[in-house]
Amino acid sequence: MSLINELESLVGELEQNLARAVSLAELEELKTAFLGRKGRLAALMGKLKDLDAGARPAFGQKANEIKQLLTAFVEARLQDFKRKREKESLLTFDPTLPGRLPWQGSAHPVTLVMDEICGIFERLGYDTVSGPEVETDFHNFEALNFPPDHPARDMQDTLYVSDGIVLRTHTSPMQVRAMLARKKPPVAVIAPGKVYRRDSDLTHTPMFHQIEGLLVDKNISLADLRGTLTYMARSLFGQSVRVRFRPSFFPFTEPSAEVDISCIMCGGKGYIRSKSGREACRVCKTTGWLEILGSGMVDPNVFKAVGFDPECTGFAFGLGVERVAMLKYGIGDLRMFFDNDLKFLQQFA
Amino acid sequence: MLISLNWLREFVPYAGSAEELGVALTMLGLELEEIKRPFAGLEDLPVGEVVECGRHPDSDHLSVCRVDVGSEVLDIVCGAPNVAKGQYVVVAPVGSVLPGGLAIKKAKLRGQPSNGMICSERELGLSDEHGGIMVLQELLAPSAGFRPGQPALEALKLDAEVLDIGITPNRGDCLSILGLARETALAFDLPLSLPALDYDGADCSGRALDGLKLTVQSAGICPLYQLRCIENVRVARSPAPLRWRLRAVGQRAISNLVDVTNYIMLELGQPLHSFDLHKIRGGEVRVAPASDRETITTLDGQERILTGQDITIRDAERAIGLAGVMGGANSDIDDKSSAVMLEGAIFNPSCIRKTARRLNLPSEAAYRFERGVDQGMTGYALEKAALMIARLGHGRMSASALTSELAPWQSPVIPLRRRRAEALVGVPMRTEFCVSAFGKLGCKIRENAACAEESWSVTPPSYRRDLEREADLIEELARVYGFDNLPETVPQVSRPMDLAGQAEPKHKFFSRVKNWASGLGLNEVINYSFVGHRELDLLGLPQEGRISIMNPLADEMDVLRPALLPGLLNSLKHNLAQGNTGLRLFEVATHFLADPESETTVRETVFLGLLLHGERYSSSWPHQAEDINYLDLKGLIEQLMAKLHLAAPRFSSSGSAFPWLAPCVDIFLDTLCIGHLGRVKENIAGACHARRAVWTAELNLDTLYTLQQTARITFKALPVFPPVRRDITIMAPFGLQAETLLEVIRKNSPDTLENILMVDLFQPENKSEQNFTFRLTYRDATRTLLDAEADQYRDKAAAALTRELPVRI
Repeated sequence: MSLINELESLVGELEQNLARAVSLAELEELKTAFLGRKGRLAALMGKLKDLDAGARPAFGQKANEIKQLLTAFVEARLQDFKRKREKESLLTFDPTLPGRLPWQGSAHPVTLVMDEICGIFERLGYDTVSGPEVETDFHNFEALNFPPDHPARDMQDTLYVSDGIVLRTHTSPMQVRAMLARKKPPVAVIAPGKVYRRDSDLTHTPMFHQIEGLLVDKNISLADLRGTLTYMARSLFGQSVRVRFRPSFFPFTEPSAEVDISCIMCGGKGYIRSKSGREACRVCKTTGWLEILGSGMVDPNVFKAVGFDPECTGFAFGLGVERVAMLKYGIGDLRMFFDNDLKFLQQFA
Repeated sequence: MLISLNWLREFVPYAGSAEELGVALTMLGLELEEIKRPFAGLEDLPVGEVVECGRHPDSDHLSVCRVDVGSEVLDIVCGAPNVAKGQYVVVAPVGSVLPGGLAIKKAKLRGQPSNGMICSERELGLSDEHGGIMVLQELLAPSAGFRPGQPALEALKLDAEVLDIGITPNRGDCLSILGLARETALAFDLPLSLPALDYDGADCSGRALDGLKLTVQSAGICPLYQLRCIENVRVARSPAPLRWRLRAVGQRAISNLVDVTNYIMLELGQPLHSFDLHKIRGGEVRVAPASDRETITTLDGQERILTGQDITIRDAERAIGLAGVMGGANSDIDDKSSAVMLEGAIFNPSCIRKTARRLNLPSEAAYRFERGVDQGMTGYALEKAALMIARLGHGRMSASALTSELAPWQSPVIPLRRRRAEALVGVPMRTEFCVSAFGKLGCKIRENAACAEESWSVTPPSYRRDLEREADLIEELARVYGFDNLPETVPQVSRPMDLAGQAEPKHKFFSRVKNWASGLGLNEVINYSFVGHRELDLLGLPQEGRISIMNPLADEMDVLRPALLPGLLNSLKHNLAQGNTGLRLFEVATHFLADPESETTVRETVFLGLLLHGERYSSSWPHQAEDINYLDLKGLIEQLMAKLHLAAPRFSSSGSAFPWLAPCVDIFLDTLCIGHLGRVKENIAGACHARRAVWTAELNLDTLYTLQQTARITFKALPVFPPVRRDITIMAPFGLQAETLLEVIRKNSPDTLENILMVDLFQPENKSEQNFTFRLTYRDATRTLLDAEADQYRDKAAAALTRELPVRI
């Protein structure tokens, strides 16, 4: 048999073998046996040097043709197998097996609300600032127009570290610090943080969180305060929320206002439709309103205390973060915030 | 402050509902807290007329009555001794429920049918009186005109609706019916009337005050002091309408003398005090500060030690009362008293507050004095009270009052600029509006013609002691305008140029760290900043530097956290009790430590606390069940540093004092210690019921904040030439740390060593050494490294290792 014939016979032989092969491994074996470095084709090619120089080009050409042919056969068969394997694997694939779950991390709801509110005000141009949690009487009370021995101090039961040093009872001392730091208007800050009161029952915890806002600039009015807080309330609770603005008293603002939002449980109606007709709304206790914050125009005495011109205008407000979180997420029990139960925390992923 | 709607209507003709009034007052800054109905249930009970009354045939103490209740005549068996024909009574028919919860059923009493009950005061919740049934003609004016079937609530003229109004500290003037009537008049534009004093039937010829000497030491402590006397008084129970009214607003009726002073205080806001005139010694009354260490026994029988700051009422010999706070036992009215000396006065608010707080004697009187009482109303209130006592106690009232008014009330004259009001409120302030508003508020307003700027002079009435400055007046204008009528505008916030490029706010940085942690599957907790000294002692934390709380709510909250761990352990304990065992908690909170240099005497440092416990993976299948260990926690910290673009941290066994951790590892960036991590000692973890390892770390976020501010992202060109990798396995005795091996390798490698990766750690059993396998990656930035070169580098490192350390390769 001539070498050419031998080359050609490889084709038929491989075809037969390929037809018999039942596994990918056998195919790979055949590929090596025929096309490998020490395979049959290579062995025949090795005989090239024994041929006459004149016969070599024809043989070489033939050998290349055969190599291409063999490779094509093997590749076609390989593709068949791969397709078949893929098809088979689809049959056993179970998309409903549980996933390889990473841990479900979460931010505390207090953090979520603080970041959201800070975000709203940052978009309006306010800077977020922080301040110490242990404060001097000056920053916590005196500069905020709480004279010593004034009944206004009764509004906030204070925890003392020593005489004249308190755990801040509100975030308002950060107003004082912000103005002292800036030295003159304009000042536009938002200041979140922990605050402390000597109070503990179903609806009070001795530590909770507030966010303070302060804007001091030219011609800032009560209408601006109202607009800004309405903007915030709608950003937090939705466009349809109504805001009620009513007079109140805080030593460091004059005029002072408390802000209510229409009850998000009953939509401000005071009652909820139920199977048995209508039921009193337990969130707003039928008033239709929920108090969410205290605010007002910065008192001239506060401006004096920080060395600002008392003719300045500005507003300030303070909001209870837990209160907002309770309303926003429908949390009924304040104490859950500090139990840190994983089943609670993971709901705020 | 509880206000009865009926009572209020004696001053203002308000015809609307309690609910409407509540909303209107709320919108004026007097917040409605609740509408109470103190006599709920009585609206359904009818007045009945006893038309027949006979002895029960089979009982000595029962009577058989027929009672006309309008719609029908009921047979009722009554056990009260005082029942009689012709009486008007309150009947509880079958089916009604009394305020105490008693449901009335059809009954037979010794054979006689009874279709209801005739009620006593106690059964109706009107008083504790239970001596017999309540006979309306005896308790109320016979002229009242009762008719059968009339609802009891109406017949008894009870105060059916009571509003509970929250009064802010500035509005002392609203701690009275009169004050809230003024606000009601303002809200609904109604006239306010102060009823003229009724001298009818009062004997005003008394002369008991003649010869009594009154001195007040200074106007500063007591600008006005006034006395009236009522002689030949009989102490007795107050008439029913007075008792019921006091009950409606939550006061217990005591006797005609006490009840009248309470009544007047609630109505007019003027606290009054009654002394027994016969107990006053030396014909003299003085108002003066106590002497230091002086004692007085107050009405409640307690001996009080006084200071020079307490204002006392004194006779010629001794203190007989603590002004505005509590009377003295030595001058108290008792059953035998027959002459009352009634005091109406104004005391310095700050003095009263100091005394009441120091002695822990809060009282309705002190509460009002602290918030400012209307000096213009004292005389009227005192006279009205004296008249009432004289009438109710059948006494003789002194013809005139004995008065010392060292400082008559002077209202301030407050300038008000229109432009300022408009700027502050944000709406135009028309003259007519301002004039009318101040008129309704009882202020006098006068235009300042001389001023260049349009302005007014406003004089507030004596009861508005809170109106002192222009800002206070502007608030009044806004209140009358209606806060809820203001436009809503969002102001432009101006940004001065110096704010450009300022550092990221700390809060933002902390938020980024929190986002990193929650993204990695950690759960944020927030614990109280205070813990107990005892917890800190158990952890072995030093006493030194702790910040104690002077007035803690409880022992377990008496010190501020000097470390986050106590709080994190509380969260661990709570979660384990709830059956949550796989815990990956983090907290961003403050360490508090004493620092004499600090303005607040405290140094506050924000830390990131991490705590891991239990399973490594969140679900069992397809993961292997494994517990977390040191490497999990360390990996988190290394990742955080990379995230913050900081250098790789160095970890070394700690010399620091964290006695609750073993092992305890310090974390360094360069030479700066930025925190520590370790395993909570088993006895401490065990106290939290943790049976598996608890790993914890605390990182100083304030330091990281500062460090990362200067960290920059600097792009490095991507490598062009391929790397060459060589593995090296080192058999090292236990105790030789990985970092030691790495240092030797690094020291003995060329710059082309790109990184070293540990690929295996094999710890054969029963051997004293372990096998580290590292993968060394070499890469030259300028050319392709040859295999031979890489072999040479590896061999050099290997040789150095065996030379310098007791290891085998």
